[in-house]
Amino acid sequence: MSERLLNDIHPREVANKSMKESLRKAIGMALRIESDALRLNTQTFNTNRYTAVGKLDDYEDLKDRAREIKESSIQKLPELIERLTRSVEARGGKVFLARTKEEATSYVRNVCRSFDAKLVVKAKSITSEEIGLNHVLQDAGIEVAETDLAEFILQVSKEQPSHIVAPAIHRSRERISKLFKEHFETAKPLDTGEQLTEFARDILREKFLAAEIGITGANLVSADEGTILLVESEGNIRLTTQLPAVHIAIAGIEKIIPSRKDFGTFIELLAASGTGQPLSSYTNILEPPLDLPVLNLNGRKDTRREFHLVLLDNGRMKMREDPDLKEALYCVRCSACMNVCATFQAVGGHAFGGECYTGGIGGAWTVGTSGSLAEGRFAELCTGCTRCVPNCPVRIDIPRLNSVIKNRLMKSEGGPSLEKRFFGNFSSMAKVASLAPALSNWINSLSPSRALLEKFAGVDRRRSVPPFAKVTLAREYDKYRKKNAPLAATDPNARKLVLFADVFTNYQNVQVGMATIRVFEKLGFPVTLSNVMEDGRSALSQGLLESARRSAARLAVYLKRLIDGGADILVAEPSVLGMFRLDYAKLLDSPDVSSVLRAHTFDPLEWLNSSAERNPQFIRRLEQKIKTGATQPEIFYHAHCQLKTIGAGDAATRFFRKLGLSVKTSDVECCGMAGSFGYKKEFYDISKNIGRDLARQIEKSIRSNASLRILASGTSCREQIHDELSRRVEHPVEFIDEML
Amino acid sequence: MSETDLIGQFLANAAGTTAAVETVKRDPEALNEALLRIAGDGPIFFACAEDVDPRLFYRFGQNQRVLTEPSVDEMKTIRTGVTDAFCGIASTGSICVSIGRELTGPASSLTRKHIAVLNAKAIVPRPRDVFSEEILEGKGLHRSFSIITGPSATADMGPLVRGVHGPGKLHIIVLV
Repeated sequence: MSERLLNDIHPREVANKSMKESLRKAIGMALRIESDALRLNTQTFNTNRYTAVGKLDDYEDLKDRAREIKESSIQKLPELIERLTRSVEARGGKVFLARTKEEATSYVRNVCRSFDAKLVVKAKSITSEEIGLNHVLQDAGIEVAETDLAEFILQVSKEQPSHIVAPAIHRSRERISKLFKEHFETAKPLDTGEQLTEFARDILREKFLAAEIGITGANLVSADEGTILLVESEGNIRLTTQLPAVHIAIAGIEKIIPSRKDFGTFIELLAASGTGQPLSSYTNILEPPLDLPVLNLNGRKDTRREFHLVLLDNGRMKMREDPDLKEALYCVRCSACMNVCATFQAVGGHAFGGECYTGGIGGAWTVGTSGSLAEGRFAELCTGCTRCVPNCPVRIDIPRLNSVIKNRLMKSEGGPSLEKRFFGNFSSMAKVASLAPALSNWINSLSPSRALLEKFAGVDRRRSVPPFAKVTLAREYDKYRKKNAPLAATDPNARKLVLFADVFTNYQNVQVGMATIRVFEKLGFPVTLSNVMEDGRSALSQGLLESARRSAARLAVYLKRLIDGGADILVAEPSVLGMFRLDYAKLLDSPDVSSVLRAHTFDPLEWLNSSAERNPQFIRRLEQKIKTGATQPEIFYHAHCQLKTIGAGDAATRFFRKLGLSVKTSDVECCGMAGSFGYKKEFYDISKNIGRDLARQIEKSIRSNASLRILASGTSCREQIHDELSRRVEHPVEFIDEML
Repeated sequence: MSETDLIGQFLANAAGTTAAVETVKRDPEALNEALLRIAGDGPIFFACAEDVDPRLFYRFGQNQRVLTEPSVDEMKTIRTGVTDAFCGIASTGSICVSIGRELTGPASSLTRKHIAVLNAKAIVPRPRDVFSEEILEGKGLHRSFSIITGPSATADMGPLVRGVHGPGKLHIIVLV
């Protein structure tokens, strides 16, 4: 069967996501054809990245420094462009500032024509994809040979890149082999990685020896020296820049930094964050035109080297003026945000991407460079899990960029859809539903109402909607207090503890809230319950930024008062804790208030674990109290994505291990339910695909211990795992509550 | 970190990149013996940017097989290249090879086997140290060069394959 029939849809046909239908088709295609290779390859990069950055002893400082350099460079960009132009020209190079992609491509075409070039060798450059350079040159009768092997594959398959660093990451060796066998008439074997590599290398070596011009991108460009940084592993950039006498580099203006001294900050970060290596095979630092004599291996008689630097604006200056999208200009294109992203691992950049920019960061870049909001529609695939945030070497808040795009897109398309209003106003819906929970749950379970919910609110009918509790946490707590007088604090100087009654815990996970209160009180720490208040999480996840801001502002005043009164706030639902610790910094106007909230809000297990670390007596006391029965229970713990991001992902594991319990953990970045994401009809299949990945890991542990206890802190993680395995999944506090 | 520690770290990390690495006495005879042994048969493309004392290559340069200015046709087919390196990086096992008037660039990129000669005193702790005025007289700030970390490699065709457009074999001689 040919590739075309097998795929039933070519990625190019759905590269542009302006139409909702294209996004839907692309997701279907990616899940059917590309998912297995994508998961294997992205997860390998991801694991290697953790190892590589773990070896950088000043990783956090390097990230701060990189961020600082990028921020200040974008700030003084016009001045840097002038300095760079002077530096390159002083060495005999030429600089062309292209305002549009048309200006850029026509300049490159003219340079090629002036040299009577028939063949151009080209190194991987997403910026050249952005401007559609290959088509322009080919239309002018100039052959373009992509020399990076992944780009070589894509030139054969006519696909767009699915990843910014490894553009053919969606193809397994088997699919590459099949493609080459169909495309090339050759007696050479094309089965193993070595055979495929050698075959492509031999073709491209001929191109290198014959080409008149070499075209590259640039990882960074230094203004004061006109030095360009080009990172690669194959050696094609070295040949592209050394063999032909003419070198054209195409760089977005955001790649300019002041001095090549600063390259030192970036090179280790780039390699570790991207491919997970200490350094890539070749880190090229070039001051073109090179001093290297002209080699003329192509038989020409060129007498001197020539260098053209095409600096591309194409929407970047406008992004610089945009208070939100500006942040994307700091991107160093390492791809860490893609490799760490559970959605990207499942569908890759052919679904989670546009014509050339992919993944979480790709939304802002697509909108900024295409000028079309609708083309950034794939930003909807960002679940807001935040796993990219701590892994970005320049600390870009990528989920925030995607919320902004969702918000603008929603407004441009006539306001929030019923679906967004449904998912974004969980609190109001829950309030109404909980007036008569039995009735709500019954209606929810009926197939006609599920069909309506699917049709009008986009809730996939295959998902079971979590039921509303018969009695809310607030009322359950009142009953508890009537029976249990408030506990006196053993340490009068200790901060008081207040459990925040978030809407998920109050209306649906009452048992988690009550277990938290009981556990802390059994351990001698008095806890009271806060008012029930909306935190803005569900609105933010739908891109309803104004609504999220309003909720955040109201709640912050209330929580700040509690904290000023000497309280620390426990938050049982990690996605809500994530709001206080991450998102409120951007949603609130006052940095002082958000920093107070960040310092005084805790996950229950995080709080218990840090108490145990401060006071080893506490663990001994606890050990005496716990009733584990005849056999020690074994635990499988899946850490919530946002807990990991705020640095509390391993608190539960550490705590249980202190108690001598055996704990296995998942290494999936996010369960794939991600709040409302997995309930949506359009994303249900992606969510299930990610959920299977997690379930497989748990099943492996279940095979060696059938009575494994499965623990997860997030309500949607528990739903997702339960949906896959039909087994009980508890919040860690419920498990502790049972032991005490 | 002492010079001995830096050399030790460099040797271990260079081996970790799958480069073959060995120490050789700073002596023309010893270097000649090592280069010819590693190079094997066939012509050798030799380029030196004078970051390692050129006198050390005197014996080696006399060999008939050693070409310092290969013709266009020779350059297209020659399989072994020898260059000097102006810097080694201990934490990554990398070497820095100039791209300038001497043909160190092509000798280290067109060939299938690259043999680099590095002075043990030119090993710095980390990649960022290459970009400092105070280290190695600021060489890393005033020339074109490649930081080479192991052989040319790709995983684009599925499994990791060494030897793509650049040399699949990298040998490093550290002069002590």
